[in-house]
Amino acid sequence: MLVIALLVVGLVFFTGGGVGILRFPDFFTRLHPAGKLDTLGSLLMMLAVAIYNLEHFSWEALLTSLKIMLIVLFIFLSSPTATHSIVDAGIRAGMVPWRKETPEEKAE
Amino acid sequence: MKKLGLLLVILSGALLLYATVDFPLWGDPSSPASLHVSPRYIEKTMEETSVPNIVTAVLADYRGFDTMFETTVIFGAGVVCFLLLRVLGGEEGDHYYRHLPTGVTIHVKGAKGKSLSGEFERIDMLWTPYDLVIKTACRIMIPFIQIYALYVIAHGHHSPGGGFQGGVILGASVILLAISQNLRTALRRIGEKTVGILCAIGVFIYAGTGALCLALGRNFLDYAALASVLGTDPVTARSHGILIVETGVGIAVMATMIWIYNNVSSAGRYDEGL
Repeated sequence: MLVIALLVVGLVFFTGGGVGILRFPDFFTRLHPAGKLDTLGSLLMMLAVAIYNLEHFSWEALLTSLKIMLIVLFIFLSSPTATHSIVDAGIRAGMVPWRKETPEEKAE
Repeated sequence: MKKLGLLLVILSGALLLYATVDFPLWGDPSSPASLHVSPRYIEKTMEETSVPNIVTAVLADYRGFDTMFETTVIFGAGVVCFLLLRVLGGEEGDHYYRHLPTGVTIHVKGAKGKSLSGEFERIDMLWTPYDLVIKTACRIMIPFIQIYALYVIAHGHHSPGGGFQGGVILGASVILLAISQNLRTALRRIGEKTVGILCAIGVFIYAGTGALCLALGRNFLDYAALASVLGTDPVTARSHGILIVETGVGIAVMATMIWIYNNVSSAGRYDEGL
């Protein structure tokens, strides 16, 4: 039951991330869902897999689950760092963050 | 000359395409490979080489000759990248140095590169301030990536993995260092000459193991000959022989990855790089 709940929640996050990447207006805002939601989504899904693996408890299964959690740790470290570096590169390349058009600009 | 080359490429391509017509159908159960070759590997691998992972046994033992030349091809790719891209000779022009304790940057015009005392760091025009977050995260991750790479190489007998995969991960860890810090830092850790020599050593380990088997009175790359050297029975010797050549492959692949990255990212000048 917990596994299903975690999987569904993870799926919601992944879907949100995917929609966000497609729908957001510019580079920086698109990186926002790509960095955050994917990290949390994969965290939840990996957690679900790790718990499911422990259904019939044995030490080997526990070891496998621990390895899965190590993957989560790795993603947790690397994914935000990668997003950060991409944003950094974008700023250095001179990309201007998107902002909402003011009424005067719309009128033009 | 170019047209001649193109003609040769097209001709050999057409020849290869023509040859594929004679292949047995994909997944054909009555093809020679499925009738004789695969069942033999599946049945005999464990008792002949004591390696649970059949893929590894086929790759490094039964078809060791093929894999040896694959390693040689990778070595060749590294050498070609070096020969085509590397800009040799002294670097004329402006140099920039930074005094580490004070952060003062010094600009030396039109001189050859100078050797540096410990307090100065050579920097480049394209130099950009490196990010603390990326540096720290990579510093934490790189050792674990390297340990994992060694695990992949050593555990190729029992799980997916082996020299090629592990070597690529090892090379990627050094490339990550070059990306997160800069190319000069990575070159200080593992220099150009070291990379070239390691690349050759990897191929040498593989070919040398084969030659050793030859010298011990068996066929080339028949690791059972190593039994007397390793002090084990022939079956275990084959298992160990696979590990030895996988190590060679890993070293060669790692060095080639780093070598190609160094040359391509800095266009052969070995300065800033990306």
